[in-house]
Amino acid sequence: MEKKWKKMLTLFWQFFQFGCFTFGGGWSIIAQMQKLYVEKEKTITSQELLDITSVGRSLPGTMIGNVAMLYGYRVGGFLGGFLCVIAMITPPMLVLSVITYFYTLFKENLWVMSAMTGVRAAIVPIIASAAVNMVKGAFRFPPCFVLAAAAFALYLFFNVSCVMLVVMGIIGGLLISEYYERKGAGHRA
Amino acid sequence: MLETLLTLLWSFVKIGFTSFGGLSMIPLISHEVVSNGWMNLSEVSDIVAIAEMTPGPLGLNCATFAGIHAAGMVGAVTANLGVLMPTLTLTAVAAAFFQKVQKSHRMEEILTGVRPVCIGLLLGVVASFCQTNYVVNSAVSPQAIVIGLLDAVLLFKWKVSVPKVILLSAVLGLFLFRLG
Repeated sequence: MEKKWKKMLTLFWQFFQFGCFTFGGGWSIIAQMQKLYVEKEKTITSQELLDITSVGRSLPGTMIGNVAMLYGYRVGGFLGGFLCVIAMITPPMLVLSVITYFYTLFKENLWVMSAMTGVRAAIVPIIASAAVNMVKGAFRFPPCFVLAAAAFALYLFFNVSCVMLVVMGIIGGLLISEYYERKGAGHRA
Repeated sequence: MLETLLTLLWSFVKIGFTSFGGLSMIPLISHEVVSNGWMNLSEVSDIVAIAEMTPGPLGLNCATFAGIHAAGMVGAVTANLGVLMPTLTLTAVAAAFFQKVQKSHRMEEILTGVRPVCIGLLLGVVASFCQTNYVVNSAVSPQAIVIGLLDAVLLFKWKVSVPKVILLSAVLGLFLFRLG
């Protein structure tokens, strides 16, 4: 019993530390896990970590949260997963709370306002580059382009909620894949 | 207060369940927080920049920011729990049936449709940010456009990292809008 709690505590502490260094996107946490669990402790293989990452990435929600849950569950069941997730998000939440406090305090300051106006000008190219980076492999079949165009138009001009549009994507994806799979199977036959 | 917290939780549960990675969360977050009046579009821009400069994934950072705006620290915790809901439920189930989930093609089929939608949404949000982020004191700002174009070159051509681009834009903003 005591051993189990010690294991949970170690898990919590390790993911707390990961959480302190997850700049931009969260790939750094995978790198940290690789260093600690694959290379040092040898608790999982590099292939297993890769499997966890790819499943974590394909599920909804934040990728690193999912990875933390999948790894924690493996080591200590649901409680282990839960602890890993909570431990990992605590540092960024505290940091962001402090930043939000200062942001609210200083956002009327003329110097801060000028700097933020510059920063806002950077957001459009940043998001555009994220969209471009996603393009690779995103259009598996021709109708996928229609989905993208429809999402763009419905979001921008008709103010359709994103939830509806993502649901449209889910259904569209299932239908499109099913159609092309059958077509592919027909060719082979 | 309780009502605000419940609205907040529900909003971020929706965001959590419909987001598939990285910046594709921005349109969802933007829609929810703006329509509920927790943040305006400029603040969404600011939080994207802040989230890119600080530890933690974008979705959680936005949750903290919007949560505090809506209901203080309790709001932050509530919104974070909302974003994490799929992780704490769906992913936990997936973890229990890991072998099966890994072999299933269902997720890949779903993503076949979701990825293009995310790209469409991202372009949509880019279009709406174009309308707010290059307007200063209700006039189109040439300085802001210059910063944006310069950043585009840095990002697309020279592959400069996002935090560096944000820092540079802040410095340029200081020079062009305050000292210029």
